[in-house]
Formats: sequence, structure tokens, C-alpha cells
Amino acid sequence: MDANVVMVESQDALLAPQVLIELHEVVKVYHSEAGDFSALKGITAMVSRGEFLGIVGKSGAGKSTLLNMISGVDRLTSGEVRVRTEGEQISVHHLSEDDLALWRGRTIGVVHQSFQLLPMLTLVENIMLPMDLSGRYQARASRARALELLQMVELEEHANKPPAFISGGQQQRVAIARALANDPLLIIADEPTGSLDSVTADHIFELFQQLVEKQGKTIVMVTHDNSLVPRFTRTLHLADGSLVAPPTSEHAVGAAADPTRRRFSLFGGKRQ
Amino acid sequence: MRPRWRKVFLDLFEHKGRTLLVVLSIAIGVFSIGVISGAYVIISNDMSASYAANQPANVEIRMSDFDDDLLAAIRNLHEVGDAEGRRVFNMRVRSTQEDQWVTLDIVAVDDFATNVLNLLTPVAGVSAPGRNEILLEQEAVEALRVQVGDELVFQLPGGSLKTLTVVGIVQDSLTGVDDFLAPPCGYITLSTLPRLGQAQTFNRIYASMAEGQDDVLHIRTVADDLRERIERSGYMVVRTSISLTHEHPLASTVNAILGILLALGVLIVFLSSSLIANTLNALLNQHLRHIGVMKLVGGRNRQVFVMYLVLIMAFGVLSLLLAVPLGGQGAYALSAYIAEQLGFTLQGYRIVPLAFAVQIAIGLLVPLVSGLVPVVSGSRVTVLKAISGDLAREAEAGSGSRGRVKRETGWERFQTRVTAALARRGIQIPRPLLISLRNTFRRRGRLVLTLFTLTMGGAIFIAVFNVQITLDDYISAIGRYFLADVSLDFDRPYRLSEVEQLATQVEGVVDVEGWLFLSADVLDPDGMVVENIDILAPPADSVLVSPILVAGRWIQPGDERRLAISEAILAIFPDLQPGDLLRLKINGHEEDWEVVGIFKFVGREGILAYVPYEYIAAVSNLSNRSYSFRIVTTQHERAYQVMMGERLDSCFRQNGFHVRQAQAGLATLDKASESLDILVTFLLIMALLTASVGSMGLTGTMSMNVLERTREIGVMRAIGADDRAIMRTVIAEGMVIGMISWVLGVILSLPFSLLLSSIVSLAVFETPIALVFTPTGYFIWLGLVLVLSAVASIVPARNAARLTIREVLAYE
Repeated sequence: MDANVVMVESQDALLAPQVLIELHEVVKVYHSEAGDFSALKGITAMVSRGEFLGIVGKSGAGKSTLLNMISGVDRLTSGEVRVRTEGEQISVHHLSEDDLALWRGRTIGVVHQSFQLLPMLTLVENIMLPMDLSGRYQARASRARALELLQMVELEEHANKPPAFISGGQQQRVAIARALANDPLLIIADEPTGSLDSVTADHIFELFQQLVEKQGKTIVMVTHDNSLVPRFTRTLHLADGSLVAPPTSEHAVGAAADPTRRRFSLFGGKRQ
Repeated sequence: MRPRWRKVFLDLFEHKGRTLLVVLSIAIGVFSIGVISGAYVIISNDMSASYAANQPANVEIRMSDFDDDLLAAIRNLHEVGDAEGRRVFNMRVRSTQEDQWVTLDIVAVDDFATNVLNLLTPVAGVSAPGRNEILLEQEAVEALRVQVGDELVFQLPGGSLKTLTVVGIVQDSLTGVDDFLAPPCGYITLSTLPRLGQAQTFNRIYASMAEGQDDVLHIRTVADDLRERIERSGYMVVRTSISLTHEHPLASTVNAILGILLALGVLIVFLSSSLIANTLNALLNQHLRHIGVMKLVGGRNRQVFVMYLVLIMAFGVLSLLLAVPLGGQGAYALSAYIAEQLGFTLQGYRIVPLAFAVQIAIGLLVPLVSGLVPVVSGSRVTVLKAISGDLAREAEAGSGSRGRVKRETGWERFQTRVTAALARRGIQIPRPLLISLRNTFRRRGRLVLTLFTLTMGGAIFIAVFNVQITLDDYISAIGRYFLADVSLDFDRPYRLSEVEQLATQVEGVVDVEGWLFLSADVLDPDGMVVENIDILAPPADSVLVSPILVAGRWIQPGDERRLAISEAILAIFPDLQPGDLLRLKINGHEEDWEVVGIFKFVGREGILAYVPYEYIAAVSNLSNRSYSFRIVTTQHERAYQVMMGERLDSCFRQNGFHVRQAQAGLATLDKASESLDILVTFLLIMALLTASVGSMGLTGTMSMNVLERTREIGVMRAIGADDRAIMRTVIAEGMVIGMISWVLGVILSLPFSLLLSSIVSLAVFETPIALVFTPTGYFIWLGLVLVLSAVASIVPARNAARLTIREVLAYE
């Protein structure tokens, strides 16, 4: 079998309605005067609905590039990325930049390591922004929803503050709330805990787990932190642009079967 | 408010200084255009309306003395609507408080109450003088420094003095309106004439047409008919001139000058647009991450584009709020000033819809157009580039692709080599200065736009000074056509030798020349009078006239029926060349004269021709005699000329000569120069506005440079740079830009000076003139641009110096 093809664990996932993302022979090459650099070397993979998929690897392995291929933030060199939403399968890289933006706004919630909140807007306005841009909600309804989401991440009392007035962990919670604004099926997160201390990072991670379990969201998260592997439902290991076998397969199995996962609280992030 | 619009609103006030710069730069352009277009409309309407309201005569005939009988006959002609007789003559006048004599054109009117042509507008006092009273035109009031109720002293040809009382001040928007060498006017009744030694007869006819008052051909035909009738009646016609009722004679000149100012206004708008483009480029670079975030969460190109478009429009709207009311006020103020200078009345303050619309269009379109490229490219940027800030790095590094290794450019190699070469010769450029020099060239696109704005401002500034000196030089040149240090005119002819003998006894007199003058009509091949010409007859070898010849030669001794003529004749006979014959009517006789040369003069002053004194004197039975003498003195300053005029006047009067006037040459020319100074002042104001836009551009650039180099400043601070070192680095960069723009401005000022002087000279003199250069503009602009550069850099430099290491290293 090709090293870059990873089969999903469950045969059920192969059934079309269950598969959310299909990556087929995804190649990304960066051209420069110093020579060509292959960031992704023909990745083929599938992600099922409701998965909490971790993409793990060292710095420069191609994790973020892979994430950018899924979200359409970057263009692939060859191959295909298909995402099934609302009954139809979209070939992401056949969409124009504009269609991509609209599709991304409605289908995907994106969370970044550096939060990417607009500094001049208040927290509630930051969350309202995707709803405003997608035109999916009326102004009043979008405000109510934004406040609900802020309440969900326990920041409703800071609703009218600009991002600079809250901590990094709180900003990341706002970023998660913003990612949920248009109620997307899929959330992709690029090192969301990378710039946070361990306690805060743990809380954020718990929040993601809650979203998978309580709201049925599919999350694809990039991390270089191997210690998080047991907490994902599944992981893809990336090294030098290729998928590789996990260091120890027990980790993945163990993590999938970890019974404590179900005891995370969405509100407060503490174990019950 | 939806979040994206709230973002636009907050972006507007995020950097108040930047917003202020952009708004001010648009506002200056919009203001200039508003003032000039508003003034253009107001003046176009009111100048002609005011002119027409004063019932200008369509025909003015200067002739020998006549009485009511001839006037009645003319009134009875069916082509003539109204006709009036007046007596116009000039005299030396002074106030009882002053020693300075002023030559005044005195107009005697039959009856002020029934007068229907060339009406006067009362300003102060009474509108109709009684016997031994006089009304003064506003300009005369200024020249004589008198007010209503004061006495004026008149010097009669015999030397005796008479007084009249000033009873009113009037505005005369018609008499001498198109002659910038005309003396100021006073108005009396016919009954006052005997007191001033004048006959109670008329010497000018003013007539209006019964119909076709704006039909130049009809008026000219009627004028020719009138002239013939008058001459057949035994009178001598000196000159005929015609005017249209609804067209001010200076309308085309004023419009041309406003056109020049408008062109400069457009240039300011153009320059401000480069500042806007610069600022928006920087703003979009700074907002790259915001754009990335918006696109990441679903923002489409169009949405981002519209957001920034609205931001640009907001800049435009803010500038309009500032510029439109000020522009309206400015337009009226400029109109009022021009109206005062040209002696016409405005119809009152009003908003000019055209100017209002033009301002709004410019205020919205200019930022839109100039900001379109940065906004389109900014809104099209991909999420990846926006989020990673690749564009900012690309612009900085000059490379395009991710991961590309930056190569040393030719310019950078040049800088390094020059620095090394200087170091080998022991010349060490201080490192902070080196940083300033290198920083200057880092953002080349921005530098080019900034330099463009400053250079254009500088080039116009320098050009205005060159144009001023060119105009002054030309005024002096045309003055030399007919003026000497002192012009001495008598009421009767005197022998050249006796005048010369007496004049040379006055200390300071170097030379005396007797001149003669006559008037002639130019005839077309059908024998129709097409234009009057003034013929001057100086000695053929006169040292006073320095003609600017366009073709042929100047008059020579022995020339008979040969003349040199001003190029205004080419408007009538475009193919006329030296050697051609011109048919003239002189003193009722038609003669063919050979044109020997064509020279430059002022188109609107009519056609001027020169013939040798010797020939004219012989045919006029005035051999070795003349009425008019030109005197050259040892010094040529105005004060000296005035003093010599007084001295010669009293000397000749004491010796029994009938002196009409002794006038200093420069007194006449200064008046012409003053009227041109107004134009130069306006040009200078426009140049300063241009320069201010340039310096705003520089301030903007320096602010953006400092903002983008926050991290670099932090590093400099961390390795020991103090406030002064940081400020020096920033200010030096501004000064380097200023100096480069000065050098480019000097080069660009040459074509600008040529263009501006040729447009102005065509508008004012109706002929292109030779450009003269002055170092003044170059030096003043050098000083100004260095000061502007320093000032423009100080605020960004202070901001840079205020940054703490923690702030700058936390930047981004």
C-alpha cells in the first residue's frame, strides 16, 4: 500500500454520506529561486463526520499546508480535495477565490494559533462578522447568536470589549465562538493551543472535544504536540510532506477508547 | 451597525493624523477648484452684466471739437440708439495736502442727470457734481489720497493753478477698462470747463446702436458710416473704437487667467491623488491581516472591495464638508477682489451650482480613482498572503514568492560600493545617516509618488518667480517703446533746439529727443476702415527705443512712407510680411505705406507703428519742432524720474513754455506691473497650495515609513540609540527626499516656466514673450523645501523617538 494513503478505521466511513473530506493525491510544491520545495507529496486521506482528527508532525512537516489545502486558503499543485456539505460534494480547488470565501464562511470555522481577531471590533462584533459577511443571519439575530456563543465560551460579560482587553486564552475562546458563528459542519484549527499556557491550552482542547461530542462537529486540528495524540479520535502523522505511520499505534487506539473523554464539560472545561 | 461597517467607521478614526492628511490633501484640491470654478462662473456672469448695466457705448469716436448740432445730427440717424458728447482731456492734479502731481483724465459730461451711456456707479458723496466740483473714480481717489470734501489743485497749461472740490466718488467700469496704461479719471460738468481753461465743446462721441448691440460687424459698419459723415462735415476723426454691450473687453483675459489658475487647481487635485494613493497603499498594507481574517471567515473580494471603497468615499465626504463651504466663500472673495480691481459690481453672494457639483464630483471621484488600484489589489489578495503578511514582506524585499531568497539589487550594490569607496578615502559616513540614506530608497514606489508631488510643487513655485520676472521684463521692454525717464508734453510745438538747450541746463539730463504722434486708419482692399493705429515718430536713430523685432528691420533715417508695425496687425492681415504695402488713411488722405518690420507689443493696446520723426515732421510742417519730448536722465529709478519730472516741469514753466505734463516713465509702468503683480500673487498662492500638498505627502510618507519600521527603531533603541539619534535618522531621511525633489524641481521648472509664461503672456499681452530666469525662486524654494521636509519629518520623528523598546518589539 502507498505510504501516503491512510485508510479510515471504520468501513462505515467509506459510505459516501459519512465521508466529509476526501484528499486525493494532494501535492503542493513551492517554487523559489533557491529551488522547488515539496511541502506535500501526494497525500490521500478521508475524514468522516464527527471525527476529531489530529494532524501531528514536527515543524515544517506540512501540517499547516495540508490544513490550508482543506480550507482552500492555499492552492494545491496537483490532486484534489473534496468536501461533502449539504448533500453535495464540493471540489474545493475548482472554486474561484470568491466562491471559496463564501463556501468557507458557511461551511468551515477556522481557528488560528494567533487568534486573528480584528482589534478594532468588540468581541461580539468579531463573532458577528462571519454572519454579516455570509448574509446568513439578520443583524439582530446575528447579535443574539453571537451573544449566545459568547455565553457558551463563558465570556458574555466581556462582549463589548475589544480583544486587547482580554487574555490570550479568552481571545482563543472568542476565536472558537467566531468559528461556530455560521454553525459550520467542520472546524479546522491550526495550532490553536500553541501560544497558550498548558492550563489554558487544556481548557481550549476540552472545548473542542465538547464541540465534537455535544454538537457533532467535525474538527481537524494541527498540532506539533505529540502528547495530545491520545485525545483525538484519530490522528494523521506527517513528516516531510508525507503521511507516516504513528510512532506507536497503541496511542491512537488508546485515545479513541479513552473513557474520560466523555466526562469533559463544555462549560468551564473541567472534568466532572 | 453591522460589524463590517463598524470596522470601516473605526478605520477612519484609527489613525487620526493619517485621516487628517488625506482629508486635507483632498480638501485643498477641492477648495482650489471650488474657488476658481466658482469665481469663473460669478465673474463671467457679473462682469458682463455689470458692464451691460452701465450702458456701454458701442462706438467711441475721438475727434476734433464739436458742438450740439453735430450731436443732434448723429442722434437722428436711425442706426443710432443714443448718442452723447463729452470732452476728455488730461491735466496735472494734486491734493492740497500733497506735493505729488498726478495726471488725471478729466471727463466733462453735459448733464449727469440725463446721461444714458457709459454710466457711473456712485460709491460715496453725490452722483452729479455742480459747477467747479468734481467726482473722482475710485482709482483716482487712491492715487491722489483725497476724500469727499477735499480740494484738488489743477495745473493749467499756462502754469496757473485752479481748485475744484471733490464731491463724490464713483466707479467707472467702462472708461479705459482695457487699457492698463490709462490714467485715473475725474468727472466734471461742461460748466466747469472754462475754469480749467478748456473750451465748452465736446471732443468725443459715445453712441449706442439702435439694434445689433452685440453684433461686431454691424457696429463696425455703423462706426465707419459715422466716421465718414463726421469727416464729411469737416471734423477730424482721431480714433474710432467699438465695444459690444454684453461682453466686457477684459472678459477673455480674465477667463484665460482663471483658466491658468484652474489648471493649477487641477494639478493640485492630481497631486493630492498621489498622496491618497500612497496613503491607501500603506493603509491596505497595514490592513492586510484584517483582509485575510475577513476572507478567512467568509469575506468575498467584492465585500472587502466595497468596505474599502466606502472608506475612501468617507475621506472624500469629510474633505467635502471642509472644502465646499470654504470654496464657496473663497470663490466670492476672489470674485470680489477681481471686481474691485477691474471696477465692476458683483450681483451678490450666491452658491454656484456648477462649482458645487464640480467640487462634489472631484471630492468623491479623485480619491476613488486614486484609491482604486490599491483597493482592488488589496481586496484581491489571497487569504494566505494576507494572513502571513507576505505582501508586506514582498514589497519590502522586492520579491514575489514564498520562500524566495532575497537577492542584492543593483541599487543596493551601488550603495555598498559607494560607501566602501568613500571609506577607503577616509570619508566615513555616520551610520545613522547611512541608515537614513538607505531608508530613503527602500520603498521606491512610495518615494516616487512623494517626490512627484514635491517636485511638481517646487517646479511650479520656481516657475511662478520666473514668470513674474519675465512679465516685468516685458513690461519694461514695452515701456521702452514710448517712454523715457521723463516724458515732457507741451500744448503747442516748440523747436527741438530750444527745448534741448533748456533741458540740458537741468542737472541730470543726458539726452533729449523730440517725438511726434499721429493716428491713422488701416484700410482693407475694399477701402473699409478695419482698425486704428497709433503712429509714433521718434528720431530714426533714437537711443530710447529697443524694439523686439519679429520680422524685418527697424526704421532707418531716410525711410519715407515706411513703417515698422506691431504684430497685432497680423490679426487683420495674417500673411503680412516686411516689404508688403499697407493702405493707411492719415488726416483724410489714403496712402500706401511699406512695412519694413514687425515687432512685439501688447495686443490689447491696439496697433502701434513707428516711422521716422524726420519724415513725419517734414510732411506735417513741423520740421525741427515737436509737442512731445523724451528725456533721458543720469539715473533711472522711479523716485529720481519723479524728481526730474518736477524739476523739468518748473524749469520750463518758469521759462514761459506751455507745459501740459512732465511724467516719470516708471510711474506709468509701475501701474501696469502692479496689475500683473495681482496675477503673480494668485499664481504664487496656487504654487504654495501645491507645495503644501507636497509637504503633506512627505509627512504622510515619513509617518508610514516610521510606522513600518517600528521594529527596526526598537532594535536601534535596544543597541543604544537615544531619542536624538532616532529623530536625526528620520529627519535626515525627510531632508534627503526634500533635496532630491529640489534638484528634480529645478530641472522640471524649465518646461513649466516656458509653458506658464507662454500661457500668461498670450492671455495678458496677446503675444508670446521671451522667458527670463531669476535665481530668487530657486533659492526660496530650496529654503522652503528644506524647512517643509524638516517640519514634515518632525512629528513622525517624535513619534518614533517616543516608542519604548517594549512597545516596538511587541509590534505586530
